[in-house]
Amino acid sequence: MRNLLDFLYKYHHWLVFILLEVVSVVLLFQYNSYQGSVWFSSASAVAGKVYELESKMTAYLSMAKENEELTMRNIYQERQLDQLRRLYAEVTKDTTDAELKELEFLSQYKLIPAKVVENSIHKLENLITIDKGRKDGVEPDMGVACGNGIVGVVYLVSDHYSVVISALNAASSRISCAIRGRGYFGYLHWYGGDPSVAYVEDVPRHAKFKLGEWVVTSGFSSIFPSGVQVGKIEQAYNSSDGLSYKLKVRLSTDFGNVRDVVVISDKSIAERAALMQAARDSISFKQRQ
Amino acid sequence: MKIELVNRLVMFLSLLLAQVLILNHVHLMGVGTPLLYVYFAITFRRNFPKWLLLVSCFMLGLFIDIFSNTPGLASCVMTIAGLVQAYLMNFIAPRDSAADLAASIKTLGFSRFLALSGIITLLYCLLFFALETFNFFDMLMWLARSLTSAVLTMVLMLAIESVRSK
Repeated sequence: MRNLLDFLYKYHHWLVFILLEVVSVVLLFQYNSYQGSVWFSSASAVAGKVYELESKMTAYLSMAKENEELTMRNIYQERQLDQLRRLYAEVTKDTTDAELKELEFLSQYKLIPAKVVENSIHKLENLITIDKGRKDGVEPDMGVACGNGIVGVVYLVSDHYSVVISALNAASSRISCAIRGRGYFGYLHWYGGDPSVAYVEDVPRHAKFKLGEWVVTSGFSSIFPSGVQVGKIEQAYNSSDGLSYKLKVRLSTDFGNVRDVVVISDKSIAERAALMQAARDSISFKQRQ
Repeated sequence: MKIELVNRLVMFLSLLLAQVLILNHVHLMGVGTPLLYVYFAITFRRNFPKWLLLVSCFMLGLFIDIFSNTPGLASCVMTIAGLVQAYLMNFIAPRDSAADLAASIKTLGFSRFLALSGIITLLYCLLFFALETFNFFDMLMWLARSLTSAVLTMVLMLAIESVRSK
């Protein structure tokens, strides 16, 4: 017994070492699962605060460029809206109806403005930290977009901060997209490397599209509403199994310079998700019988 | 001992902030990121209580992880680096030197310090990037990232060390 105690005393640092390694490895593998703890991420109170201070200090440097971009886009969209209103009125001969429908559509979504406090684009698995959390109404699985297009999907939420899986995340980001005006859909996938290029996979072989057309979110994923801008088609390839197309897309979001974003909260998502879950449960129940 | 602990704490905080606010944003040629905080593990004196060495290395790693959203990664590798330093220091230090010899260019001489820091930094970078790219392991990318990061880290570390030793 005494020998054992002597032995333990002499080599107690090895026990400490093994203990610390076990803790690290548990953290390492636990974080990959969805239940990963928010305390060990940049959404924790201390890390969030430090990044927020840093981001406040550097924000004004990129303000001018961002404002210019937003103004351009605003003007473009106002003109587009105007044209569409006119066309709609020509077709239906009714203007009040259109406005009512518009309001109804917009009230379905709640937009929560947020600021990016930490961001990366050079890793394979990029994450973004924003300064809004549970107390501001942010929940996991909500979509995040900026003035120029999609940004990512909320992953972890603390009281005042959230971690967002960037669309530039080779391991976990799959956003459902469609080709604007054509309806064919696929999944947005990023393979690392150039932060302005991603690929849309699983587009059917019979799909018709032109290079330079816009890819937008499809609205099937129940995370983004349909029609949020993703990017322009630059090239089309055959997929490796030859069953579908793979589109190279030039992303419209400049991920190196996202500062102001909105979290999109769709009240019907929870309802749709519950319905989907109920359908799955009933199918698996039938199969078991 | 008290002054030493305060010194260690100051070093802990300054390396942590330097890493998360500045160095994590450096990507030389898209691959090399200096991991300067490993300097914390390298500079422990000989016969520093081993358990405290391990725990403080682990804590620095954990804080780096919290800031860069990689829980367990830096803490796992920092703890290993701390353990290696404790044994390597005995091996590299001159035989007739003081029992509490500090690890710096001033006390060890340039070549011995270079050997000590070089071995630990290289080991650190190799393990760090191997664990980080666990899912998408690509041999060439791993070597490129580890080696450029190790070289960058060494350059920074030697620059700091040469200023401190004056």
